[in-house]
Amino acid sequence: MSAALAVEPPVEAPVVDDQALISAVLAGDAEAFEEIVTRYQRAVYNLAVRTLRDATEAQDATQEAFFKAYRALHTFRPGAKFSTWIFTICYRLCCDRLSKRKRFSGDELPDRADPSAGPEMLAERSDEAVRLRAAIDALPEKYRTVVTLYHLQGKQYEEIATVLNLPLGTVKTHLFRAKEQLRKALSS
Amino acid sequence: MTHDDDFADLDRMLAALPLEEPPAGLRSRILTSTVYRPEPAVRAWEPWAVGTLVALTVWLVWLLATAPNAGARFVELTTSLVEDGGLTSLTTLLWFAVGLSAAWWISQLSFPTARRVRSR
Repeated sequence: MSAALAVEPPVEAPVVDDQALISAVLAGDAEAFEEIVTRYQRAVYNLAVRTLRDATEAQDATQEAFFKAYRALHTFRPGAKFSTWIFTICYRLCCDRLSKRKRFSGDELPDRADPSAGPEMLAERSDEAVRLRAAIDALPEKYRTVVTLYHLQGKQYEEIATVLNLPLGTVKTHLFRAKEQLRKALSS
Repeated sequence: MTHDDDFADLDRMLAALPLEEPPAGLRSRILTSTVYRPEPAVRAWEPWAVGTLVALTVWLVWLLATAPNAGARFVELTTSLVEDGGLTSLTTLLWFAVGLSAAWWISQLSFPTARRVRSR
């Protein structure tokens, strides 16, 4: 046997699955909830910021989503995906915020100015990621959310359909049209 | 050729698109509103209980105060308790003891509260 084979692989910390973390939180372990926040706050924030196009409101929606999830954690169905659940909560909160916005500012909503888009930011718009983000932001809300979830969850169409409460076929159609618009925007 | 093939470049760009970093304070905001939320100074039912007791007391006092000859009857009752030795009788003292014991026992009760998460 060669010496290389005798070398032990590096020991990695065991990854605790979401269900075990949820059980631990329900048993009173605060650190387990910290781990859940660490895992999902970025994705939830990205969903909120893409849907609402407002960083401050996205922070509030993210905080509220975690608060609601925490309060309702005992109702979480074992075997379900936590990401789908928290995305659903967050998406509904975003929809509430969008409808409130519409009520106060009329049917046609102007795109909100991005407070982070200063002159330096605008100068970087040639960058591929920045251009793609700008193109996503320019999509209509229903397409923007589908693309965001597609970005966050990958090609899990059923999960996206669950979050948006839409038929699978509609999700695929929205995604197709969104991609068409994105491609057009990026090539122009 | 499938739709996925049509959008291969776009899919690659999407896959490579980094997620935006949430603001630095967001995590602590989430945690202080959930697992590390400070205990409320009073529980939700406590103002209701105190309010109900105060309302009952006010109502009782009002009933007594507006009864005919309320003052005279109160003086008469107090006098009879003191002069007839009602306050020093064994039965009265026994009931006082029972009342005080019951009050102490109730004050020691701990009612089940909502699920609380152990903080570190």
